[in-house]
Amino acid sequence: MSNARQPRSYTLRVWRQPSSTTEGKLVEYAVSDIDPDSSFLEMLDHLNENLVKKNEEPIAFDSDCREGICGTCGVCIDGRPHGPIPHVTTCALRMRDFADRSTIVVEPFRAKSFPVVKDLVVDRSAFDRIIEAGGYVSVNAGSAPEANMIPIGKDIAESAMDSAVCIGCGACVASCPNASASLFVGAKMRQMVLLPQGAVERKHRALAMVERMDREGFGDCSNHGECEAACPKAISIENIATLRREYMKAIFR
Amino acid sequence: MNTPRFRLWSSVGKKILTGLTGIALMAFIVMHLLGNLTLLVGADAFNGYTESLHELGWLVIVAELGLIALFGLHAISAVQVWLDKGKARKQHNSLMRTKGAPSKQTIASRSMIVTGAVLLVFVVVHVIQFRFGPSIEQGYVAVVDGAPARDLHRLVVETFKNPVWTGIYVAVMLLLGFHLRHGFWSAFQSIGALGPKLRPLAYSVAVVFAVAMAVGFLILPLYLFLFASVPSGAVAMAGH
Amino acid sequence: MASMPQTIPNGDGLHSGAPGGPIETRWDRHRFEMKLVNPANKRKYTVIVVGTGLAGGAAAATLGELGYNVLNFCIQDSPRRAHSVAAQGGINAAKNYPNDGDSVWRLFYDTVKGGDFRARESNVYRLAQLSVNIIDQCVAQGVPFAREYGGLLATRSFGGTQVSRTFYARGQTGQQLLLGAYGSLMRQLETGRVKMFARREMLDLVVVDGHAKGIICRNLVTGELERHAADAVVLATGGYSTAYFLSTNAVNSNATAVWRCHKRGAYFANPCFMQIHPTCIPLQGSAQSKLTLMSESLRNDGRIWVPAKKGDPRPPDQIPEAERDYFLERRYPSFGNLVPRDVASRAAKHACDEGYGVGTGQAVYLDFADAIQRLGQNVIAERYGNLFDMYREITDEDPYKLPMRIYPAPHYTMGGLWVDYNLQSTIPGLHVLGEANFSDHGANRLGASALMQGLADGYFVIPYTLGNYLAGTRPGTVRSDAPEFGEAEQKVRGVIDHLLGCRGKKTPREFHWELGRLLWDECGMSRSPEGLTQTIDKIRALRAEFWENVHVAGSGQELNQHLEYAGRVADYFELGELIAIDAQQRNESCGCHLRVDHQTPEGEPIRDDENYAYVAAWEHTGDVSKPRLHREKLEFENVHLTVRTYK
Repeated sequence: MSNARQPRSYTLRVWRQPSSTTEGKLVEYAVSDIDPDSSFLEMLDHLNENLVKKNEEPIAFDSDCREGICGTCGVCIDGRPHGPIPHVTTCALRMRDFADRSTIVVEPFRAKSFPVVKDLVVDRSAFDRIIEAGGYVSVNAGSAPEANMIPIGKDIAESAMDSAVCIGCGACVASCPNASASLFVGAKMRQMVLLPQGAVERKHRALAMVERMDREGFGDCSNHGECEAACPKAISIENIATLRREYMKAIFR
Repeated sequence: MNTPRFRLWSSVGKKILTGLTGIALMAFIVMHLLGNLTLLVGADAFNGYTESLHELGWLVIVAELGLIALFGLHAISAVQVWLDKGKARKQHNSLMRTKGAPSKQTIASRSMIVTGAVLLVFVVVHVIQFRFGPSIEQGYVAVVDGAPARDLHRLVVETFKNPVWTGIYVAVMLLLGFHLRHGFWSAFQSIGALGPKLRPLAYSVAVVFAVAMAVGFLILPLYLFLFASVPSGAVAMAGH
Repeated sequence: MASMPQTIPNGDGLHSGAPGGPIETRWDRHRFEMKLVNPANKRKYTVIVVGTGLAGGAAAATLGELGYNVLNFCIQDSPRRAHSVAAQGGINAAKNYPNDGDSVWRLFYDTVKGGDFRARESNVYRLAQLSVNIIDQCVAQGVPFAREYGGLLATRSFGGTQVSRTFYARGQTGQQLLLGAYGSLMRQLETGRVKMFARREMLDLVVVDGHAKGIICRNLVTGELERHAADAVVLATGGYSTAYFLSTNAVNSNATAVWRCHKRGAYFANPCFMQIHPTCIPLQGSAQSKLTLMSESLRNDGRIWVPAKKGDPRPPDQIPEAERDYFLERRYPSFGNLVPRDVASRAAKHACDEGYGVGTGQAVYLDFADAIQRLGQNVIAERYGNLFDMYREITDEDPYKLPMRIYPAPHYTMGGLWVDYNLQSTIPGLHVLGEANFSDHGANRLGASALMQGLADGYFVIPYTLGNYLAGTRPGTVRSDAPEFGEAEQKVRGVIDHLLGCRGKKTPREFHWELGRLLWDECGMSRSPEGLTQTIDKIRALRAEFWENVHVAGSGQELNQHLEYAGRVADYFELGELIAIDAQQRNESCGCHLRVDHQTPEGEPIRDDENYAYVAAWEHTGDVSKPRLHREKLEFENVHLTVRTYK
């Protein structure tokens, strides 16, 4: 049984930055007595408890649901957003995947559009502002028709769901050499255009979301496809192809 | 902000432009390679091919202007993408590594701006060398269908008898291969042409295409360097 | 009418304000009788909505659509991350698409019975009526619900029902519904009618002349205390399971907003009604920060069992069929593995307490072998793939090959701030929605009903009832420079300064862990009078120690997660005591509340309708140890009080 495994120890190199306006640096910490079944964030909790006891400032990092669905957590671990294991968020990452006595570098999700707030906490409100521009169906409460009025093919609904599973964590941006938000934007756009309810506003949505994405300062996409590998929900760059198609339709029609 | 001009110059617009121009340029180099392969047949075949292009008259000018526009747009939009990238992440993490498949991040994808820049310089040199190089007036005359024509074959052979030029061309063609390895599938992805079935296919075909183009092009200077005889035309003309 | 302050005569006789008459027409009649705000006047009113989950997000968006000025606050960095996002299995609605006998009446009946007859009939009936509109609304928003091959919506079954009425989007229904509400909210942000304040924690309610007129919140990035004034406050800040330390809730879910409102005069109803969810991944290590829930939908295809022999050391696949005890199927043959959560949790605890537990002894098996054999692994993967993946990530075991090990964990709080039929608390102008209120689930919530309630409250109830309140007030009467704001801010600052200045020896986490153990042991799945008495004393002692010996790092003028946490733990101590006091006063067993002195020899709960068919609403008296009890008598005119049986 995995519980019986020996506690482990690690050397952490963690990005410490007191605030958005100050300089930051990597600081080294030793952690020991880590249960291999504990999560990466529980390991950081453990370190923080020890730091507090030593009268040092604990490391600030974001997390909430701790089961991989809220999209709050996310750090770059040894240069990879959400760490080395595919299709998990940082909170779902387990220490059993890190060799005993190894050194682990922990840095924030880095992009100009994601300014560091403190230590490993970044501001991802740019994502909200992109959705604000058009990532929805314009329908008021109370005005909806009967739910089964428009049948939607099972495969279409499944495909829309494949895009809709985006948790908005920002790993796509952090992993992208260009710091592009194309996967995030493409996923929302694809979910919406696949469904008849969302297809009505497709033209406005494509133009408005891309315009907002650019204004927020994200980079352009060079089709490295790193975002798909980094995405904890395995969202495909198919969504970026859809983004381009939608955009072309919007400007040429 | 939503003026048509901005739309084409948005992040997605630029990428669509880069993709469309890239596809057109790939079509061009395929044609260019097929034409150049007449070099393997012989001087008459090659000069006949180049002369037939000349006979298109003003269409040549249109085609050339079109090519300049394609190269220009492709380069400018790509450079812009690269510049935006610099702006989008000013501070970098100490480590940045790929997570592996299905990532398509490769040396080729990361070096597009470098290989692209080299190719741009190369294209300029290449055009100066051959398009604006010595012609009939400088004595490079061949006979095509009984009429005098520019002996481009001689210029080509002379150039590639020079090991430096051959070396440069071979090296640049290898870089072209790198550029196409990412550029081929990326161009189609950029215009949204790839669905879930086509994408893996296009990604594999890209390797084949890149190797075919690189090998196709670099075979010519190597072949000429190793096997071509010094053009007879040069001697014949020298007698006049 | 609810725009008037609630009249509370003498410690008893709290009234819901629900209209009388036939239950089917109550909501319609009430809607007609409520006052309206003229469309041109709506923009003159400012409404604060705290929380952006299904209830808060839907409310903020809908109030924005109606034309009110909405100030919307959330503790997360984005409204899309509210903990509703983590709801997995589905949302109930009385659509009767499968033609299996469902109706508004049946959903109403199931919910009242599922809540062990401790919910308010009028509210539950309204909820069942509105359930159908919710599905329409969400589909129109582009929520990708699961569909049948013909393109129509698919449903599945959940615990406590014998019809298939649960709509779902894989195992991420809460996420998809929340993103629908979030989209609507973002649309209102773009129009400017809603202003979003993310990374804000509400730390006090400002009451002016007896009406809720604003909040004090801390900007979690700068540490600044902010005053926000409005014409009404809508609270949708979720439940308080995190008081138990280990729960399925998010680490930032907390009770501070509801608790501080309680201390400002809002009654707290049925605090001891705490749902312990049966299918959670068992505790693994001492460093664990939370427990992970596996959707109840798993019980559609999974069979729960323990070895028939105590302490059987064999691995599960080597225990033959005849030597297994499928205890839910055995004890409750008509509902089997789909009994309600309280029943399933209790049965699992019972099996473990008797020594039949597996793994650490605190777990039972949830086995899919039969379903995989019957349907194939692909079908199971399609239905529950993401849950199976999650299980594997956490436990390092493959649930396709070995049965899952599960154990109950604190999950949802049926208790919450007392509200009337208009969802207004005992403080006029303070409305409470979703899990933060107490109203619809009685002593036990049925699966897939929380999403239904949150969205019903947000999309379809508060837009009407808040208008009714506002129509009786003049807009913009209170500004944030009113002395009441100063007083509230001062109080908040006092608490923060004390926490930072204490510099004791124990961390908030250590205190929280100890409190959580106390609550789990004595206010968990079974409760005894003696245990509760002792627990109350222990909580008091621990709370006193907390205020003297807590150590909080950093300063107040920056992002300080440690300080945020310390403030929440402080409130858990007070709330924890109230939970125990409430459990102590309710001398019966009902729903989740099992008192060992009120059960049959087989461990089935014994309810006391004669004396306890009421909502226990607690008033803060200034001394947290001496709350005053008010009772709202529950009338059952449409559902007959029966012994709740799932046999």
